[in-house]
Amino acid sequence: MEFCILSVIRRGEAYPSDIVDEMRAANLNILEGTLYPLLTRLKNADMLTYRWVESNSGPPRKYFSLTEKGEIFYKELESTWNELANAVNALAKKTESMPDTTNQNPSF
Amino acid sequence: MIPIEEAAYDTLKQYVESLRRYFANEEGRDEIINDIESRIAELFSERLKRGSACITEDDVNAVIASIGRPQDFEEQDGDNTAHASSAGNNANDSQQQQQYKQQQQYSYAPGSGRLYRNADDKILAGVCSGLANSLRIDPAIMRVLFVLFFGITFWIYIVLWIVVPVQSLKTNITKRLYRNPEHKVIGGVASGLAAYFKIEVWIPRLVFALPLLLSIVNGAFRGPFFNFHFFPGFLTGSLVGTLILVYIILWIVLPEATTASEKLEMRGEKIDLNSIRDTVKEDLGGIKERAEKFGAEVKETAQQFGEKVKEFSAGQRAQNFASEAAPAVRRTGSGLGHAIGVLFKIFFFFIAGCIVLSLLAVLVSLFGVGVAMMPFKSYLLDGNWQSILAWSTLLLFLGVPIVAFIVWIIRRIVGAKSKSHYLGYTFGVLWLIGLFCFINLGIAIKRNFDYRAKVQEDYTLAQPNGKKITVKVANSTTRYYGSWWGPNWGGFFNFTDDSLLVKNIGVKIEKSKDSAYHVFATKSSNGSSGSQAESFAKSVGFRLEMEDSTLILDNGFSLPRGQKFRNQMVVVTIQVPVNRRILIDHSVSRRLNRFNIHFSPNDDWSFDDDWDHYQWEDDVEYIMTSTGLERADGKRTSDNFENNDENGDQNDKVDNKYHYRYKQIEDSLKVKDSLKEKAKNKLREEIKVKDSLDREKKLKEAIKSNTSNKQPNSDVTTEEPMYDNRSLSPFMIFSKIF
Repeated sequence: MEFCILSVIRRGEAYPSDIVDEMRAANLNILEGTLYPLLTRLKNADMLTYRWVESNSGPPRKYFSLTEKGEIFYKELESTWNELANAVNALAKKTESMPDTTNQNPSF
Repeated sequence: MIPIEEAAYDTLKQYVESLRRYFANEEGRDEIINDIESRIAELFSERLKRGSACITEDDVNAVIASIGRPQDFEEQDGDNTAHASSAGNNANDSQQQQQYKQQQQYSYAPGSGRLYRNADDKILAGVCSGLANSLRIDPAIMRVLFVLFFGITFWIYIVLWIVVPVQSLKTNITKRLYRNPEHKVIGGVASGLAAYFKIEVWIPRLVFALPLLLSIVNGAFRGPFFNFHFFPGFLTGSLVGTLILVYIILWIVLPEATTASEKLEMRGEKIDLNSIRDTVKEDLGGIKERAEKFGAEVKETAQQFGEKVKEFSAGQRAQNFASEAAPAVRRTGSGLGHAIGVLFKIFFFFIAGCIVLSLLAVLVSLFGVGVAMMPFKSYLLDGNWQSILAWSTLLLFLGVPIVAFIVWIIRRIVGAKSKSHYLGYTFGVLWLIGLFCFINLGIAIKRNFDYRAKVQEDYTLAQPNGKKITVKVANSTTRYYGSWWGPNWGGFFNFTDDSLLVKNIGVKIEKSKDSAYHVFATKSSNGSSGSQAESFAKSVGFRLEMEDSTLILDNGFSLPRGQKFRNQMVVVTIQVPVNRRILIDHSVSRRLNRFNIHFSPNDDWSFDDDWDHYQWEDDVEYIMTSTGLERADGKRTSDNFENNDENGDQNDKVDNKYHYRYKQIEDSLKVKDSLKEKAKNKLREEIKVKDSLDREKKLKEAIKSNTSNKQPNSDVTTEEPMYDNRSLSPFMIFSKIF
């Protein structure tokens, strides 16, 4: 999950609502209620930083962006994800003859 | 400023509260809450902008849906495969939310205080179901209760039927009673009950089994020792039957909680993806299976939610119930079939239970025996130390294995797992101590019997009047009533608390060295040393007296108070002079029982070698001859003396048989003899006749040749007496003629 969020933020500054929309567009359904804690955690871990942006339609919003640490973290996540993906793909191709399909849980 | 309806505001407040609770231990809790609140505000302003005058409850709910409820966060955090699934998810979500809404509404609006009859879930009139709904329990339980107390509840049922209005209630079965197939011993009924009521599993099991146990224990107690019931009859008797019946009914009626949602219902947990996930996790172990099942479950729950949504819009309820009822009925049908098939398991459980109970009974009876043997214990054991040993032997050596076994079986039934084996070790150590005590006790007792001594006591008695002495055993002058505490050791001794009567007496018949009857008693006893044995032997008291021609023996010999059992024995020797008679009455063998315990080969106990001297029959008169005792009536006695019959007749019969056969042989011999004799005689006669004929001839010739001479006559006449008279007479006549 963190991986996906970081990917979105990496592309550019984003505020939570946007992030949610983007993920929905990518067929990843996430609730805002899940997102906020995550963002907060990442922020507390210094992976993200934010700035307040005033808006005319309501209260000010936070715009999140990736920090350096966040960048490094992102790279790690990316490599992990790739490894996982490769492994799963290899297995999936191999076990085509076997009846049960394994759906591995990617960690986000 | 955001205008908002009051009701909406309440809902909003509750939502935020729930969020706050959820994030209670998160680091950035406040920040998160703030963020979320801002978001909410944003969404509200959007709506307002779009044209709403103020925020309604619907708006609030929509916003909540968008942001999500706390449960969803958790679920989404851990489980992400859902997101990698089809587009059906969107519909899923919205349905989820609807379901939550409904559930919230359910919990916010329970039976609403009014009692209705449930028009949908009804067997007869939906009374039970409505009641159950208002009480928020499973209608099945309600029904069982109604049936059990049928007499009373029948009228209640009728009254309620009339009074209570009918309404189509949403069946508020958030918690149903199922059978739990995971933790089942026989049929998982107890387990399901436990899960429903959220109690430990062994409680319902114990409740089901307890009356059975009690009744069997009761039966054990009603045995030889106690004559009262520990537990009143109704508790054991009818409850056993009722509970067994209830168990079987429940087994048939309740469906097995096979699907995860049913399992959740059984426990009364909310049916949502969350708890289903947990339940599914429990079932399966691996990640792969988990994911698979989850996908399937999601689909199923989606269907169910879809149905529930439909039902919320009313009208579909009856259809739903019908479709729900159909599989339920099917399951019941197969349940019946299962019931028969699993009857074997009942038997197994029953047998295991019986083993436990019989062991329990053994344990109890051990105690009973130990207690009952109290008097005997003081008789046998010497001193406090030994009695301590005896008790500890009984408890530890014998009791501990039984207790351990019972505990083991019960634990197996209950399914309890022992964390450490301390229990086993404890039992083992206790048993070893018991073994040690037992060995010590044996040695100590044995030591008391090491030596054996004999002491002879002569009795001077008046000689019997006639030639016969009769030996009898007196009726007890004092009756020894053993209380039901003390066992009656039948032939060997009776005792009460203060006196002891031992019947270990033998009667022996010997030949007297002179012409008078003599009687003496040989008393013997064991002891831990020679002198102790001798003193014990001396202190044996045995009385007999002579009444006319009857020698009356005491019923038993007595030991001084406080003396212990040391295989004391009395042998009464009666010396009968030759040609005098003796008759042993049947009361002797009936009332006195001789036994001997051999302890060591060192004792000079020679009596046992003379088996012959003890062999006499009851009520038979014997005569003492120079060679030994013989029956006065001349009959032969049987060889078989092993059984001292109480009834002298049987002996006679036996003897008669033998005797008859013998007689037959004898007779046949006699016949042979006589035949031989006769033959011999005949021969002799013939020879005699022949001889006499010869002589006649000679005589004739002699006469012829001696007609002139008269001398041969005298020769003839002198020879005549040697012959037979008959053959002589013609000679006589002849000679006289000449």
